[in-house]
Amino acid sequence: MSSTTAHPRLESWRRGLYRFRQSWVSVLGLLIVSVLLVLAIGGQHLAPYPQHIAGLVDTSARLQAPSTTYWFGTNELGQDVFSLVVAGTRISLLAGMAVVIVGAAFGVFVGAIAGFLGGWVDEVLMRLADLKLTVPGLILAMAVAAALGPGIVNMVFAIALSWWPGYARLVRGEVMAKREETFVLASRAMGAGTNRLLWKHILPNIMSPIIVKMSLDMGFAILTVASLGFIGIGVKPPTPEWGSLLSVARVNMPDYWWTAIFPGLAIFMAVFGFNLLGDGLRDLLDPKARR
Amino acid sequence: MLTTTRRGVMAGGAALLAGMATGRDAQAQSRRILVMASNQDIPNFDPHVANGYSASMALRNTYDSLVGVAGNPPKPVPQLAQSWTISDDGREYTFKLDPAAKFHDGSPVNAEAVKYSFNRLLRLNRGNAWMIAGVVDQNSVEAIDATTVRIKLVTPFVPFLSVLPWVWIVNPAQVEANKGSDDGQAWLRSNLAGSGAFRLRRAEAGNLYEFERVADAWRKGGGNLTGAIWKITRETATQRLMVQRGEAQIAVDLTSEDMDSLKGRAGVNLVIEPEYRTFSMKMNTRHGPLQDANLRRAIACAFNYQGMLDVAGYAELMKGPFPESIDGFDKDLPVYRTDLARAKEYLAKSSTPNGGIKITVAHVSGLEQQRRWALVLLDSLRALNIELDIKPMIWPDMVSAARSPETTPDIFMVYQTANYGDPDNLAFAGYHSSRNGGWQNPTYANPEVDSLLTQARAESDAEKRRALYVRFQRVLMEDSPDIFGVLEKRKLAMRSNVQGFAFTPVASNAIDLFPLSLG
Amino acid sequence: MVGYILRRLLLLVPVLLGLSMLVFAIARLLPGDPVALAAGPNATAADVASVAREFGLDQPLVVQYWNYLTGLFRGDWGVSIFTRRPVAEDLAAYLPATLELVLAAMLLAIGLGIPLGLMAAVFRNKWPDFLARTVSLGAISMPRFFLGLVFQLLFAMWLGWLPLSGRFPLTEDPPPQITGMLTVDALLSGQFHAFGVALSYLALPAIAMCLSPLATIMRMMRASTIEVLQQDYVLTERALGLSQKLILFKYVLKNAISATLTVIGLYFGWLLGGTVLVETVFDWPGIGLYATQAVLTQDFMPIIGVTLCIGAIFVTVNLVVDMLYGLLNPKVRYQ
Repeated sequence: MSSTTAHPRLESWRRGLYRFRQSWVSVLGLLIVSVLLVLAIGGQHLAPYPQHIAGLVDTSARLQAPSTTYWFGTNELGQDVFSLVVAGTRISLLAGMAVVIVGAAFGVFVGAIAGFLGGWVDEVLMRLADLKLTVPGLILAMAVAAALGPGIVNMVFAIALSWWPGYARLVRGEVMAKREETFVLASRAMGAGTNRLLWKHILPNIMSPIIVKMSLDMGFAILTVASLGFIGIGVKPPTPEWGSLLSVARVNMPDYWWTAIFPGLAIFMAVFGFNLLGDGLRDLLDPKARR
Repeated sequence: MLTTTRRGVMAGGAALLAGMATGRDAQAQSRRILVMASNQDIPNFDPHVANGYSASMALRNTYDSLVGVAGNPPKPVPQLAQSWTISDDGREYTFKLDPAAKFHDGSPVNAEAVKYSFNRLLRLNRGNAWMIAGVVDQNSVEAIDATTVRIKLVTPFVPFLSVLPWVWIVNPAQVEANKGSDDGQAWLRSNLAGSGAFRLRRAEAGNLYEFERVADAWRKGGGNLTGAIWKITRETATQRLMVQRGEAQIAVDLTSEDMDSLKGRAGVNLVIEPEYRTFSMKMNTRHGPLQDANLRRAIACAFNYQGMLDVAGYAELMKGPFPESIDGFDKDLPVYRTDLARAKEYLAKSSTPNGGIKITVAHVSGLEQQRRWALVLLDSLRALNIELDIKPMIWPDMVSAARSPETTPDIFMVYQTANYGDPDNLAFAGYHSSRNGGWQNPTYANPEVDSLLTQARAESDAEKRRALYVRFQRVLMEDSPDIFGVLEKRKLAMRSNVQGFAFTPVASNAIDLFPLSLG
Repeated sequence: MVGYILRRLLLLVPVLLGLSMLVFAIARLLPGDPVALAAGPNATAADVASVAREFGLDQPLVVQYWNYLTGLFRGDWGVSIFTRRPVAEDLAAYLPATLELVLAAMLLAIGLGIPLGLMAAVFRNKWPDFLARTVSLGAISMPRFFLGLVFQLLFAMWLGWLPLSGRFPLTEDPPPQITGMLTVDALLSGQFHAFGVALSYLALPAIAMCLSPLATIMRMMRASTIEVLQQDYVLTERALGLSQKLILFKYVLKNAISATLTVIGLYFGWLLGGTVLVETVFDWPGIGLYATQAVLTQDFMPIIGVTLCIGAIFVTVNLVVDMLYGLLNPKVRYQ
């Protein structure tokens, strides 16, 4: 790209960044997400009782209320709830990210095929995407995850199964529109292949809405992962996933509320953080969508 | 819309509080309905097909059996049979039926009905058929006259009277009238053909079942209940709160933490009693690394028994395959207890002296105690450098996994409930090789154990029988096929206005409504 | 118009057909041993085989699907392997409870979302706007099952104001069944006490359910109102001295209805599927709880049934919404 086109883009970035900083909610979102990332990366080292994450049980210290020793109290096995919640960050973030990336990648693939080939291929793929909209995704994900058995990979697969149609539509629409645009026609005239067209001209142009959608979806993906855990079909024990932690803590309510409240708050904070950030990113990258 | 909704919510809340204070009391005086909170649905009412304690509750109250069970220790008591005699060789039982006994449709419960019911149970071979399989066959039950039944056992079976409370008598006329192509199974699934003191009034599958007293039931006496509700309440914390708030009178699936939290509350009585329900972890003796007896012994010595007991709460550790109160229990049996040095000695003798292997444990998904114990096991095995893969499975999948040694997990968690207080019940089902492939004993087989158990089954001399069981326990301990776990106490919470409840340590969560009253 | 409706109705057929095929394939291609469940814990291999025959599970998958499909037209939705009850009967028994919950949540969302959105638009970029927007993002981010648990903890366990779970007091007889929705039935039969009681059971789960659609309605209302307020003709009328109230009333009302319709279309199916978690928390005997139990026992016929049922309701509601939308905006052409 020449410098003349780069300049206005830079300008719009700068304006977006200004807006982002102006909106304190977006900054709050960024702050929460940063904290989550730090916890996800350094969790094992930041947790006060890393042994508990590995599975150590201390039945002499069961169900203790929050204190300076155990910030979030201990659970029914005497494990430190704070350490478990911290360790859960990595699992939730990784699983959420995997769902969004797998969903987006598959969606982009399907959307690009539908957009480029058109005709009956497009028709079939888009009807399939429509169909996916009518299916209650959570129930389907529950059924698939339950049948595949517990484990992060199975869970991600089950959720991603109904995650792609949004991206497919986005890409297909963009491909359809851009296909006719002059510069694509021009490059096609110059003999560029479909593959090259996609990577060089179409994807860079729709990267912003995809990134915005991914960041907005991140929160929802984390929520869905936690939902499966809550139903009791999530990860393998002793993996400290937030939804499963909350699920097993239900028997402890109300007397030992801390075993349930803190994992629940963690889910809320993570989803909230990504939603705020996603909102801010939309303002930044996709000003058209802003109102 | 906004205001009406909001006002409605407040009105609703107020109405509820008012209802608790007055409306419900007024209603409770004319209708005495006992609410039981349980987490198990009653998917089937066919007395010869259904299993599970929820079905036992429904069936023992809507049907009758030849004998009932009461007392602690449990004793057979007359029900349909007023009296019985047993031949000297213990193979012939003669029952005298109560002439007053009649089914809900008014027809008498006669000897033919008894014969019909036993044969239907054996023919279908489901539900509780396993309790009498191999002991009674299609020709065993004989109707001598209308009120006399003779049962000839195929093989001597000392605890025969103890299984009879779970063999229910159906009304042959009603079953025949609705026989269909499946021996009446479709019809009996949701219809009753019994003679019990209660009948079904309302069934909301997955939610609640309401029973009402049969007005002119043949069994006289009993408590003053006019009805009862079996409310499916999946969370134990909710069950506990229902009893605490008086919304339920009995909760049957409480955890030890629930019991602690209810302790000392006004209006609540707690029942915490030992019952014949053993928990053990069966090791796969035929496939995988645990074929090695030394590895099994190492694991039995590494396991954190105190931790298991701590998370179980009201329980006691098993000291072998039998509960202490069962006749035949060997009180001098040397049991494995947590001893890391000894565990490492055994490990050193095994084929994997430094650990470094990964084994699997399967438990029933959703069973909170089993989940906790699996985590305790995981922690214990870390000391031997053995990794544990915890697999929560639904019960049917566990049952099918147990069918062959290759699919059986390395460690298999099971509860076993003795329906009768005889050592044979636990020992034969749990350790005789004829049961291999079944969930109670997926893989363990030892010819010496087999012969001891078969002899003991038929031995009517109490002293000799005891000696056989002691020998069996010694052999078993040497083989170490199980991590003997805990004997959980039965934990029931009930409102103090429930009267007439007497604890019997067999299937006490299948509440017997007949003697109960609400004060 | 009639032609359009007919065409849309005809289009439903391939959609539902596709849906049934998809769900059936997914549910049946998964691992798991449903037959062992039906046969019971003490079954022999022969028993298992006979159960497989009984349910037609020994036949090729295509035949199974064909049998299922032809059964659907006769009102036979298959049989639960766990309970052996017909799925159609179960759905009929459980659906009203779910519909009641979803409708109550929708009413709450609309009733609160529209005024809040309006307020945010009028006070644009002032603190009520920021507050409303942040709270709405918070509402979307709040896991419904967690909110349900917190509600239970606060209002039922600690304060004791509202019932913990269920739909109606156990020992009382519910109002006579008309629609199956207890609040509606109580009103229809004039039992106002029973209405209040049923409402007290409905309150917590409905509030836990309503947050996502509420936040969406609020945002849409805000955005569309801002747009209206910036239109030339509105600016002119304002300059002419028409009061703010009148302008809002005159132009915003239509927006409110459109926004509401859109959200109903978007959220009805979503909420039906989303009741799973809330019903599990509150022991609310609806199709969500039914689906959860079926998933946990890998009982696939109910799973297929629930999914199809929700899919069908979703498509139908969207058809109705589209038609109403057309009535409101005659400019929209039916194609």
